[in-house]
Amino acid sequence: MQAELELPTSQPRPTALPPPVRGVESFFYDNKIVRDFGVATVIWGIIGMLVGVIVAFELARPELNVTRYTTFGRLRPLHTNAVIFAFVGNGIFTGVYYSLQRLCKARMFSDVLSKIHFWGWQLIIVSAVISLPLGYTTSKEYAELEWPIDIAITLVWVVFGWNMFGTIARRRERHLYVAIWFYIATFITVAVLHIVNSMALPVSFMKSYSMYAGVQDALVQWWYGHNAVAFFLTTPYLGMMYYFLPKAAERPVYSYRLSIIHFWALIFIYIWAGPHHLLYTALPDWAQSLGVAFSIMLIAPSWGGMINGLLTLRGAWDRVRTEPVLKFFVVAITAYGMATFEGPMLALKNVNAIAHFTDWIVAHVHVGALGWNGFLTFGMLYWLWPRLYRTPLFSKKLANTHFWLGTLGILFYALPLYWAGFTQGLMWKQFNAEGMLQYPNFLETVLQIVPMYYLRGMGGVLYLSGVFLMMYNLYQTAKAGTLLANEPAHAPALLPAAEDPHATGGHWHRWIERRPFQLAVGATVAIAIGGAVEMIPTFLVKSNVPTIAAVHPYRPLELQGRDLYIKEGCSNCHTQMVRPFRSETERYGEYSKAGEFVYDRPFLWGSKRTGPDLHRVGAKYPNSWHYNHMMDPTSMSPGSIMPPYPWLFDNQLDNSTLPAKIRVLQKLGTPYPAGFDRLAVADAETQARGVAAALKTEDIDVKSDREIVALIAYLQRLGTDIKVKPAQVAATAAAQ
Amino acid sequence: MIRPRQALLAAGAVLLAIHPVLAQTAATSTPAAADSTYALVWFLLSTLVLMGMVFLVLFVALISWMKPQLRQLYNLPTVHDTWSGQVLGLLVGDARLVQGDVRDEVLDHDYDGIREFDNDLPPWWKWGFAFTVVFAISYVTYYHVMRKGLLQGAEYAAEMRQAALFVPVGGDDPNQVTTYAALTAPADLSSGKSIFATNCAPCHGANAEGKVGPNLTDEFWLHGGGVNNLYKTIKFGINGKGMVAWKGKLSGKQMLQVASYTLSLQGSKPANPKAPQGEKEAAGKPVAKL
Repeated sequence: MQAELELPTSQPRPTALPPPVRGVESFFYDNKIVRDFGVATVIWGIIGMLVGVIVAFELARPELNVTRYTTFGRLRPLHTNAVIFAFVGNGIFTGVYYSLQRLCKARMFSDVLSKIHFWGWQLIIVSAVISLPLGYTTSKEYAELEWPIDIAITLVWVVFGWNMFGTIARRRERHLYVAIWFYIATFITVAVLHIVNSMALPVSFMKSYSMYAGVQDALVQWWYGHNAVAFFLTTPYLGMMYYFLPKAAERPVYSYRLSIIHFWALIFIYIWAGPHHLLYTALPDWAQSLGVAFSIMLIAPSWGGMINGLLTLRGAWDRVRTEPVLKFFVVAITAYGMATFEGPMLALKNVNAIAHFTDWIVAHVHVGALGWNGFLTFGMLYWLWPRLYRTPLFSKKLANTHFWLGTLGILFYALPLYWAGFTQGLMWKQFNAEGMLQYPNFLETVLQIVPMYYLRGMGGVLYLSGVFLMMYNLYQTAKAGTLLANEPAHAPALLPAAEDPHATGGHWHRWIERRPFQLAVGATVAIAIGGAVEMIPTFLVKSNVPTIAAVHPYRPLELQGRDLYIKEGCSNCHTQMVRPFRSETERYGEYSKAGEFVYDRPFLWGSKRTGPDLHRVGAKYPNSWHYNHMMDPTSMSPGSIMPPYPWLFDNQLDNSTLPAKIRVLQKLGTPYPAGFDRLAVADAETQARGVAAALKTEDIDVKSDREIVALIAYLQRLGTDIKVKPAQVAATAAAQ
Repeated sequence: MIRPRQALLAAGAVLLAIHPVLAQTAATSTPAAADSTYALVWFLLSTLVLMGMVFLVLFVALISWMKPQLRQLYNLPTVHDTWSGQVLGLLVGDARLVQGDVRDEVLDHDYDGIREFDNDLPPWWKWGFAFTVVFAISYVTYYHVMRKGLLQGAEYAAEMRQAALFVPVGGDDPNQVTTYAALTAPADLSSGKSIFATNCAPCHGANAEGKVGPNLTDEFWLHGGGVNNLYKTIKFGINGKGMVAWKGKLSGKQMLQVASYTLSLQGSKPANPKAPQGEKEAAGKPVAKL
């Protein structure tokens, strides 16, 4: 125990001598809700990171994919959802509920709303923990949850906003501090992103089809995905940095004007950069170029936050050496700076050509997630707990140990994956002197980096062990003290605007800081422009997605197979996007065209190639190859790290919702003939018998009603609609 | 001070003097000669870099040695605000030029005890931001207004045109009849065996007994027996029936090796053979189509 940690004074300074004209009011801050969210973030953090460690080792040792519910394809979305929405999400609410009350000098608007918000959010996470391993997923990254949960998220988010704006409306502070600007931008943008990206028509209770198809779905998804990083992982945390960093360092914020410029520039520019996730894909070139250009312009606004944070520490660096809270903050802000420089560099097309689809990207996001989000959360919790429980932190030494375990964990995580990503990216592209791929066998490039997967898993274990230490430390701190559930505070009431000397004048930006509504409108306008400019033409101008006459809708059985592909999470490891590089057309076949995806709801381009691309896998191998491969991947690809899928051979294909699926797709514009829903099941059964008969000729007996038959039908259809022009693939050949 | 500069000049002169020689040797070089040319280039290049570094160190030493005098110069009112004066300021380490004016004047507001300074934006940040904006505008202009840059389709076409230069004319016609004889040298067959084990065994079985693909040890062939038919099937694959085209993945020699190895397995009678498929042809017999 450290004796020198000063107990926080229960009473904020400025209220000591209120001016005589203003009546001082007494009220209580709600600390209990802060504590609750804090506990939730620790528990979900441990669960989410534990799942992360498991999936990390599943890549190194495929035999760890023990049941159908815990394959990499099903657990990876659980990991990302748990750390983003459960760990970071509860972290945001911890920080916001603590700082908002104090910055507004008011208790949260409604205790009931706070409670609904808290339990509603935990319930949503529990439903994710149940539904994702069961295979209920939309496959859209970080938006995998199915439509009933999406609606619940919307409702709880509204409750959060209501509570937040209610508190702001009742504030006893005329101006909104920069942290609150960031909270407001977060609330609005996340609402817009979530609603637009989750638009779907339900087929049944836990199945829906995206309102968007192919290229458009991809654009919307990565507008969402990129800005989930921006407005869920970045802006709320910047707001928290602006509160907790000056508090912990006891130093004034470095520059008010820098905070103004970087706030508006950040939220305006961030929203445009989504297409950098789709470089060299079938997305129109102009949208890709906008993604590149705005990503580069994003460097300075991001770094504005970093330098305002680091320069705030001037005069407090001696305390960084001894105070674990500040150590965590310094590494968090540094990681933020590194990730936000690396991101724009990865958005340059020539860098992206090497790095995209590799583990480089995985390393990049983890520098942000483990460094920026993780460490800022840890620092905040170590700062909060003694204040909530009115007692010094149980052990500074343990907190320091946590710091070092976490830092080492980040290094052990990121460095091997950078190495792996760079290695694999170059191996994919390497041609030999005869003009042939140096590593034509994809598996060779995977096996090369398996040792890196072990190291990365160990990095994860180090990081997670630090979190366990924190849990123990916080628990002991809580045990030693008592929760100050309702913290007394005093502040003068706001005078009516006409009488308030603070209600006019000051810096020009002060005007909007007095007006939360106008601020919210301004932020909405700033974030709406980029998305609108990129999306509206892609939806309305036909030339952006040139149709191809030969491309037809999926047959019912193929559609069922596609839904199995989604359910098993195949797109977590396999892309369906052959990029226009010689190295890819040599390896996979003709590059993917926008018009090929017009019936893909959702799109399944993927974002990571742990296994090879599958867009041109159709008709490449015989049915029996797929049959044997799904039963035991190593039988067809010796050494493969893909898990086997034996349950597909036992499960009967569920055709009960097939007519409803057809009807929904018809409503969305897929040109099935009228009344096709009634013929769909029969058509599926006919095609299934055909596949089974074909398998029979290859000495494989399989009942035609099994799931594997549908999956094979889908895989054999993939990418076969357009005929590959021989001239385009014939550029290289054997030397003789 | 003078010595490194002289050395630098000398190195440059040597490089220039050697340049035509480089061009000549490159034009007529055998691989070995090319290697030695490269070695020479690397040697000169690293010498040059080393010289540059020595020069840099001496320069820094000079600056720090002369710092008091430079600072006096920098503080002259006529120098201080000029452009060259700013460069001098950077050399003598005036933090203001990196950080901006740090007045540290606390603003009059206070949020829960948090105060704010209103310090300048650091100039490097401001100019960096401006630079990225200029870059972004130029980028979009270059590709979409002036249409100078290759967009991805054109970039791909260019890459393929380049690659096509390395392909011998007529080397890729599936209908062209080859007239190879099966290889028999032990080295070729053992190379063929290892190629077979890594690439063919998953489908045709470790002993070519047939699994997903047909049995290759009997006399029945779906797409023609004989080394030339085999070579063609291996090279171009059988689209739609699962035989992968190996051209681009195996070299011509490798394909011939593995075809020869496969033929050497004729009549080997492995365990669990797959039932015969296709037409009976004696492997050794010349194929009529050829």
